[in-house]
Amino acid sequence: MPECDNPLWPCAMTGAAACLAGFDGMSVVIHGSSGCYYYPTTLLHAPLHGTFILENEVIFGSEDRLREVIGGLAGSGNRIAVITTCVPAILGEDIQALLAEHGVLLVDSPGFAGDAEAGYAKALSRLSPQADAATEGVNIDGICLLDPFHKGNLQEIRRLLAMASIPVATVFCRDSLPKIHTAAAFTIGANGDYPGHVGKFLGGTLGPGTLQATFGELGNTFEGADIDPVLRELSQQEEEIVRVCDKYLRRFDPPSVVIFAGASYAEFIARTLVQYLDADIRFMALRNNGGPSRFPGGLVRGLNEARFCIEQHDPDLVIGSSFERSVTGGRAFIGMTPPLRGTVRLSPVPLAGINGTLFCIEQVLNACMDNSRPVS
Amino acid sequence: MRLKPSPTHTSRSGGCTLTGALSVTTHLRNAASVIHGPRGCAHHNFSLFHATQLDNEKVTIPDLVSSALEEGDIVFGGEAALARTLKAVCDRDVAAVFVLSTCVVATIGDDVAEVCSRDWGVPVIPVPTAGFLGGTFHDGVNNALTALSDRAEPCNKNLSVNIIGEKNLEYEVRENYTEVVRLLALLDLPVGIRFVHDLSSDEIPLLGAARLNILRDPALVPVGDHLRQRFGTPYIPSFPAGFSDTLAFISSVAASCGRDPERALEIEQSLQAGILSDFADINNAKGVFSGPVMDSGSTRAAREAADALHIRVSGDKKARSLPVQPVVGTSGVRRMLHRWRRAIHA
Repeated sequence: MPECDNPLWPCAMTGAAACLAGFDGMSVVIHGSSGCYYYPTTLLHAPLHGTFILENEVIFGSEDRLREVIGGLAGSGNRIAVITTCVPAILGEDIQALLAEHGVLLVDSPGFAGDAEAGYAKALSRLSPQADAATEGVNIDGICLLDPFHKGNLQEIRRLLAMASIPVATVFCRDSLPKIHTAAAFTIGANGDYPGHVGKFLGGTLGPGTLQATFGELGNTFEGADIDPVLRELSQQEEEIVRVCDKYLRRFDPPSVVIFAGASYAEFIARTLVQYLDADIRFMALRNNGGPSRFPGGLVRGLNEARFCIEQHDPDLVIGSSFERSVTGGRAFIGMTPPLRGTVRLSPVPLAGINGTLFCIEQVLNACMDNSRPVS
Repeated sequence: MRLKPSPTHTSRSGGCTLTGALSVTTHLRNAASVIHGPRGCAHHNFSLFHATQLDNEKVTIPDLVSSALEEGDIVFGGEAALARTLKAVCDRDVAAVFVLSTCVVATIGDDVAEVCSRDWGVPVIPVPTAGFLGGTFHDGVNNALTALSDRAEPCNKNLSVNIIGEKNLEYEVRENYTEVVRLLALLDLPVGIRFVHDLSSDEIPLLGAARLNILRDPALVPVGDHLRQRFGTPYIPSFPAGFSDTLAFISSVAASCGRDPERALEIEQSLQAGILSDFADINNAKGVFSGPVMDSGSTRAAREAADALHIRVSGDKKARSLPVQPVVGTSGVRRMLHRWRRAIHA
């Protein structure tokens, strides 16, 4: 059924903007109408520019308007990137020559070309990231402005790498623009839904098992690295996780859970909850296509489908976005998937690293216990 | 670095007809809105409406269905995708289905009207939108209201007053409505229907019954004219903004409905005097007006309140920032003055 009720995930244009706007030194122009501009602006909280084209520019050509906007940005010293929205992409106006004249990067990523991940990948590939053998340290990828945990993830991974005396090279995609061409030869990841495909990938940072393996690889790769402090903290905190989860299980049954998230986070959450709480993962309702998993799951693209999924699997706990929160029907809920509207979030909380797992577990336990308490 | 650069020309920031039309159609209960275009357009709007409803402590979920056009549909035409979507939606228990087109569909030239005109078993109402190619956000609102008004027939008049074109995406939509209801109550006038805010399809036939329509703002005048032509109902072009405008509003409504406004005006003037007295502590303060939206009505209302409190408003950007918001009625001014007091005493 291709038609879709209340679609849950942003388009390729928004994904491309999320990639490009993460780089300092880049001015991102949405080439389209004001309506197309407003959404990524409100979602990404990043500086974006727009051509705000009008009907006459669709009929007679948008080259003059594009030139006007690019001219206004030219003095900033930033590299300019133009993302095409649906209508300019369909019209196929040849703007390449104009853009090349100004050294502007064109990213053809209209909304109909796919979902946010496709646009993110397209934009990143257009930037032609390169590894440089002379660059020390390790890159971090999977840092995407669309991800509500991107700031917290970056802080946490930087903290762990600093503990292990491993320098951070390029962060994809939250760094200064020139560093995209001088990335290190090795990369570790935060959110696997937004891979950078630059350098040799040493592993992810979601969950203690993955983290331990990745830092093991880092220890083997970097001569001067000292991963023991990280492993010690990991071990201490894991003991704490086991203690609180064990205490929970003395009083409560393991939660049954339906997870609405991108494949990477869904897999992490599912594995974590099974490992520490013996949780029953009833379904992973994915926003995007993931790899093979031992948990049941599939793509869920619209809200009615999400509602049906919750009713069908009848979980104790729903993990998802503010969309799913609207249809949980009194079940325990945790927001871990964008958008997270209707709630104030100021502190940079991670899902990656040691603190990410602590956050995940504490959220789950608190939500489940709150929902189990009798109403006085 | 500039954070959110404004477009060079204000006319470029008029938004999308689709969003404007959806702000109307999603407020008709038990109706679905089909967005004929790529999935992303529907997601953008769903996300916006959902966020707005959360802000307004509502949990009603708008029923938006995307025809989910993909690259192949763009090349070969999207009419089959629209027909397939309408079939699926009309099979549900819905009172009406609105069909709204995106700029993508306008560009590829689908014959949306023809697909909608087929026998679907429930009313399928095409609303003239074409994303940004069909005009602005306001055009979308007006087109949706006009399309929906054509579902009602002329009928006998009663004593009620309709509220037309509330800004359903406005943060203070409920408070603004409450203020207008309060003013109408001063004249013993009941509200007819809210066209369109959380409206049942059963109420649409009552559209022509009111003796007066009150438009939310002057951008709705084409809708007001359409309703006057169709049902013979006169209209007031806007909710009142500020103290004197509120008094003028009471007089205008009273004149249209054959009421004596004297008692209502006395009550309102007394309320306004009380508010000015409550804010005597910010008399003679200094400041500069600020705000993301400073239309002429809001600025006039703010200027009037400042003059009444002898607040000196300058163009000095370093002066205390006095936020100007789109105020409605006397209560709107009071809320704005609270924000001014907070700013002045900060």
